[in-house]
Amino acid sequence: MAMIEVEHLTKEFRLGQVTGFRDTLRNLGARLRGRKPEGRAVFKALDDVSFSIEPGEVVGIIGPNGAGKSTLLKLISGVSKPTSGRIVTRGTIAPLIELGAGMHPELTGRENIYLNGAILGLSKKEIRSKMEEIIDFSELEEFIDTPFKRYSSGMKVKLAFSLATTLKSDILIIDEVLAVGDLAFQRKCFDRMESLIRREGRTVLLVSHNIRQVERLCSRVLLIDQGRILEDGPSRDVCNKFYEMSDKKIMGSFLAGARSRAREVSSGDVELTDVSLVNARGEKIQEVMARDSFCVNIKFTVFRDIPRPIFGVGIHTTDFLYLATKQSAGVFDDRILTPGRYALNFTMKDLPLLPGTYLLRFGIALGDTFQPVYYREAVAGFRIVGGKRMSRATLMSGVDGFLDFDGQWHLVSQNGPTEEPVLLGMSPFRKSVS
Amino acid sequence: MITVVKELWTFRQLMATLAWKNITVRYKQAYLGIGIAVLKPVLLMVIFTLVRSFVGIDSGRVPYPILTFAALMPWVFFQEATSESVNSVVANAALIRKIYFPREVFPLTAVVTKLVELGINFVILAGLMLWYRMPPSPLAVWVPAIFAYTILVSLTVSLVGAAMNVYYRDVGQLLPVGLNLLMYASPVIYPLSLVEKKLLMERAAGAWSEIAYRLYTINPLAGIIDAFQRVMLKGEPPDFAVLWPGVAATCVLLPVSYRIFKKAEAYFADVV
Repeated sequence: MAMIEVEHLTKEFRLGQVTGFRDTLRNLGARLRGRKPEGRAVFKALDDVSFSIEPGEVVGIIGPNGAGKSTLLKLISGVSKPTSGRIVTRGTIAPLIELGAGMHPELTGRENIYLNGAILGLSKKEIRSKMEEIIDFSELEEFIDTPFKRYSSGMKVKLAFSLATTLKSDILIIDEVLAVGDLAFQRKCFDRMESLIRREGRTVLLVSHNIRQVERLCSRVLLIDQGRILEDGPSRDVCNKFYEMSDKKIMGSFLAGARSRAREVSSGDVELTDVSLVNARGEKIQEVMARDSFCVNIKFTVFRDIPRPIFGVGIHTTDFLYLATKQSAGVFDDRILTPGRYALNFTMKDLPLLPGTYLLRFGIALGDTFQPVYYREAVAGFRIVGGKRMSRATLMSGVDGFLDFDGQWHLVSQNGPTEEPVLLGMSPFRKSVS
Repeated sequence: MITVVKELWTFRQLMATLAWKNITVRYKQAYLGIGIAVLKPVLLMVIFTLVRSFVGIDSGRVPYPILTFAALMPWVFFQEATSESVNSVVANAALIRKIYFPREVFPLTAVVTKLVELGINFVILAGLMLWYRMPPSPLAVWVPAIFAYTILVSLTVSLVGAAMNVYYRDVGQLLPVGLNLLMYASPVIYPLSLVEKKLLMERAAGAWSEIAYRLYTINPLAGIIDAFQRVMLKGEPPDFAVLWPGVAATCVLLPVSYRIFKKAEAYFADVV
């Protein structure tokens, strides 16, 4: 029998302020006279969502901000009531929605453990028997009798996490918690989560923006956007789908003119008019197959003489990690850019980037002094999509890095003292043993 | 009714812990500790006694200070419990947004918390009784029933009040004002016997006297205070003629109040 059953779940919120007393009276009056009261605009946080979760399943819920993930958890844990639809849950639920919800700042750590245990429905005796385990896991022995308000934020989370995962419950609901604490504790939390899932076979609902973690912990993932379930399936497939979605969004907002002028340095002598990517057939593109060549087309206007210009084109990630730069030092030593309009073409050959979204930066400097005349980041963006030799499922930027490189493998078995090593595959460095 | 009690019984541990939390938190950084709780009734008693020396209130054979203190005990309990529990839902917004359990736990806990302070006031009352050499009467067995009734009265006001306070914070602001007014309509400063004398014997309101007296006793606090004074100080059983209008009103209004609370409860997490 399913642990959690959700049928045609819809949750609406009314937008805007809670109406004042006068509006309520007016609405009441309207209702009494049999008319419909004028309502505020309705926002559907969840729109006809249905799924069911079997015992022992570990289900991740992912999606962009405001997709309705937390609303869904709130409805399942009973905190909020659905506008329509039905939720059936079997067994006790330990809600971890935003860790530390039940913590009181004035109470000590130990007192908070009692308080939260009671909130989660445990008797004093049960809590006492778990006390040592909780304190032990939280690594807070020294501070357990200090008021919670004096804890550092990391300590708060440690206590909350060990509390919520030590207390027994059939269903565990987790909202954005694993990305807390120092690295060592994150590791510990992660292990605890894995053991909860693997050994104790608890049913877990996990909401996180850390897609990597979701992919690793969960067997199944729901992808939610704008209150609807877009995908429901094995975690790897759904996570890849989500990566693609976010990449598109980043590009979309970039193309919609969100290119920031914040990272622009200009002497005013040069104005950038257009940057576009062009493929071998001369068509404007935004997507490039991995390892394909393409051309960056930069148009700019010069207002004052620029002798011996040096151009630079670089690639960086959407979070401004510089990956590579190419400069034209020495190429245009005999040129002087007189006022006027120019178009610069730069062909990228066999770009060794992994699939993902990347941005370009561009600069012009004076050849003699290397003094920058113009510099700007995020002038254009492009997406590398999987080529013939790589698929998104196996290689992802940000997970496997950004760069693709070539190499050869060979494996040598070194079992047995007398036997010659058995070579598997060809080594370019050694003659094969005949 | 039975299901309600049953559900609350399952959450008794939670309520006990929450009440313990309320008390610990309230007095954690207060130097005087829980002793501060007795300050209000004791101070009011002193003030009333001083005022009485100017205006003169007939307190019968019971000394006025102890009589008014015995009135202040249920009154202050009622007043504090009610204002505390009206604000309890909003005060626990963080919990309400995140964890589910029946929401009436909050108003109930707020009331239960006040029982502790009431207990301390009993110590003061015992001291006063010793001072005035008033032996306790076996009729004191009525006390738990009287306070159980007071709790129900407080919940009648505070369940609906707490629910409304989630939507309109004015409720929490206006309630203390209303309760202060109610004090003058309750036999706190003056004994009920005075009202009886004025209305029933001297018929101060003429033909309306009977009705005025009934209206006065619809306020459950009139019956509660009178009953408490009787069993503790006068060694008389509670006067049911005074009690029943209030009891009837409570019996009618408490279910209504509870129903409203439960209906509003579903949206607390969205609105609060």
